[in-house]
Amino acid sequence: MEANQILFIAIALLTVLSAAVVAFSNKIIHSAFALLATFTGFAMLYVYLSADYLAVTQIIIYVGGILILIIFGVLMTHKIYSTTKKTAHNSILVSLLGGVLAAGLILFIISLNPWAANIAKDFSPTTAVIGKEILTNYLLPFEIISVLLLGALIGAIFIARQEDKEK
Amino acid sequence: MIGFYTVLLFILTGAFLVSFTVALSRFLAPTKDYPEKHIPYECGELPQGEAWIQFNNRFYIVALIFLIFDVEVIFMYPWAVVFNDMGLLAFIEMFIFIFILLVGLAYVWVKGDLDWIKPKPRLEHLAKAKGE
Amino acid sequence: MSNLNSIQYFIPELFLTAAILALIIVDLFLKRKQKSIIAYLSAAASLVAGFLAYQQFSLPATSIFQGMLVLDSFAIFFKILAAFSTVIVVFISLDKFRETAEYFILLLIVTLGMFIMPAVNDILMIIIAMEIVGLISYVLAGIHKTDLKSTEAALKYMIYGAVSTGIMAFGFSLIYGLTGHTNLYDIQMTLASGHVNSVAMFIAFMMVLAGLGYKIAMVPFHFWVPDVYEGAPTPVTAFLSVGPKAAGFALFIRFLVTIVAHPSSGAADTFVQNVDIQAPFLIAVLAVLTMTLGNFSALNQKNIKRMLGYSAIAHVGYMVMALVVFNKDAFGAIMFYMIVYLFMNFGAFWILESLSSKLGGEDIEHYKGLGYRDSFTAVSMAVFMFSLTGLPPLAGFIGKVYLFAAVIKQGWLILALLGVLNSVVSLFYYVSVVKAMFLKQDDELAPIQTSLYHKIMVLILVVPTLVLGVYWSPVIEFTTNSIGLFFGR
Repeated sequence: MEANQILFIAIALLTVLSAAVVAFSNKIIHSAFALLATFTGFAMLYVYLSADYLAVTQIIIYVGGILILIIFGVLMTHKIYSTTKKTAHNSILVSLLGGVLAAGLILFIISLNPWAANIAKDFSPTTAVIGKEILTNYLLPFEIISVLLLGALIGAIFIARQEDKEK
Repeated sequence: MIGFYTVLLFILTGAFLVSFTVALSRFLAPTKDYPEKHIPYECGELPQGEAWIQFNNRFYIVALIFLIFDVEVIFMYPWAVVFNDMGLLAFIEMFIFIFILLVGLAYVWVKGDLDWIKPKPRLEHLAKAKGE
Repeated sequence: MSNLNSIQYFIPELFLTAAILALIIVDLFLKRKQKSIIAYLSAAASLVAGFLAYQQFSLPATSIFQGMLVLDSFAIFFKILAAFSTVIVVFISLDKFRETAEYFILLLIVTLGMFIMPAVNDILMIIIAMEIVGLISYVLAGIHKTDLKSTEAALKYMIYGAVSTGIMAFGFSLIYGLTGHTNLYDIQMTLASGHVNSVAMFIAFMMVLAGLGYKIAMVPFHFWVPDVYEGAPTPVTAFLSVGPKAAGFALFIRFLVTIVAHPSSGAADTFVQNVDIQAPFLIAVLAVLTMTLGNFSALNQKNIKRMLGYSAIAHVGYMVMALVVFNKDAFGAIMFYMIVYLFMNFGAFWILESLSSKLGGEDIEHYKGLGYRDSFTAVSMAVFMFSLTGLPPLAGFIGKVYLFAAVIKQGWLILALLGVLNSVVSLFYYVSVVKAMFLKQDDELAPIQTSLYHKIMVLILVVPTLVLGVYWSPVIEFTTNSIGLFFGR
């Protein structure tokens, strides 16, 4: 599967590089648009993990929903050109150290290779299994999530709403 | 997984077609550059100020509402796949889920968050002008 | 137990959900002046839910919804505590949020989260419960949209919360990867079989600790506390300092009991670890850091709300200290302390809330000479302050005695000593409030008139603080009876 590996490396590069643009770009709108590539890259990586449903979820919610929200949020900020990022490069050493440490930690855990749950390598479709599970074994989380979404909706709308229209 | 190769092929074909046609027109079309071509409106109006205006808050609110129901749809998708096998029970379970979120929809609807701004006649300005 | 059979064990939560939906719909039909109905209804709903939870004591402990939740007396205790704290918070916030129906609806949703949190038996439910409580709490902290401080508090709370919950979720994913299960009981059994890498488990434990520590405001995940406590509206601060924290402790204990501890721990009354990750030592260090940092930072505070924020960190330190010994004594002591803490902390915050507008602020400066302007409130405030310090014969003293006794009994003498020393330090800043109220007489200031409502609220909160200091056996009996933890799928 040589081609497969090349494809994987290409996707990983796309994800990491666009994430770097998100983090280091000085213009916030560039960061917002670079997120598009990052989220899409994530979705493709999920496919490699045999998580097809998760990949579609990633596209629909993150690319189709949250990214739009972020871009709207950026568009709503005024004086976007004249505002400078205040904490842009203050502590690059500390953040670099933190990042390297976190990456090292994760690599270290992976190198221990203690995993019990192995990823299914047969790449069978998961949607039907997930559907069955959320309607039987995971019914309670599924229903509780609707209350969580309801609360998030009311809370978010309440915070975002402009108060003056009630007068 | 095989299905996703089709998706990849689709993306690659799309990307190729778009870039091919754009590149083709770039090679074929004559390029004559003059300063007027670089202003945003070639029809003669000179733009004033920045193109960056503050967007209306309502775009954001509608996007928020969209996002919540987007998540709801994500849960309906696997449900729809197995609905045929599970029958009535699956229907009731999904009904509860949707009902709870419908209450949220009713909330934003009645509170007027879905109303777009309607142009209001500025009567007080008129009255002022008349009075003076 | 299957989903359909589980419903009969889920009545308090179902009632709360129905109440939330009903209140949202009722709110749509109310005019601005009638909005306070929502507040009363939410208090009533929370009270009924607490009562329904109390009714469940007679039911046998079991796991419900395919092992997603458990129903045991431990969970029921924290459900009642959550319902009770919500009722009090509704009455604390009645005046300020009379016209904001959303506030009370969101409060009820948090209560639902706090009902689920102590009863979790699955990693997925832990994350969902934490998200319900967390997400809605961010909104509550920023409910004063036009107030810059409140908005800043909400933003800080949310960013720290998102990071720590993310780390926690990563830790849980590691635990899933190590054991292959999401059910807490299955995880415990797999860990107990001894085939799990202890280094990886240690890292996973630390990551989960980030989320749990954030929820209960334990060092080093306490950054948000001072700013959020100061910036958020006082009723919300009061709520955050008791309700979600109690639920967080319940979750913490549940996590320790089911994942960190070996199945034999419960019977042996000692802390046998599933996988050797030095958990008792770690918790001891964190507890000492938490109380020391909280107490010493509180010393120089001018703003009482901020001071109470740091003191809340210190109190978390005392409670986490008891987790070190990890037995029924410790859990009972923590539960008893939570009850006591509820009364004294709500009392202090209620006085802050109702007097700050009359006194012009929440700084210690503003409380100068209060003893001569409104002696009843000032004496009550002094009672709350001394009780928070842990002076006899007040409830806080008894609570601390039980906490320290549980620790000393298992031979952690140095830890207990550090705790006692910390209590001495805390005396300084609590007394500074009392000193300002009584010693600095200011003749120019006129007496303050307080409403009957204010006096009744103070009485409701101050009487238990006094009574529990001399007669506490029924409550300790209640908590001892409530330490039934259910293990199973």
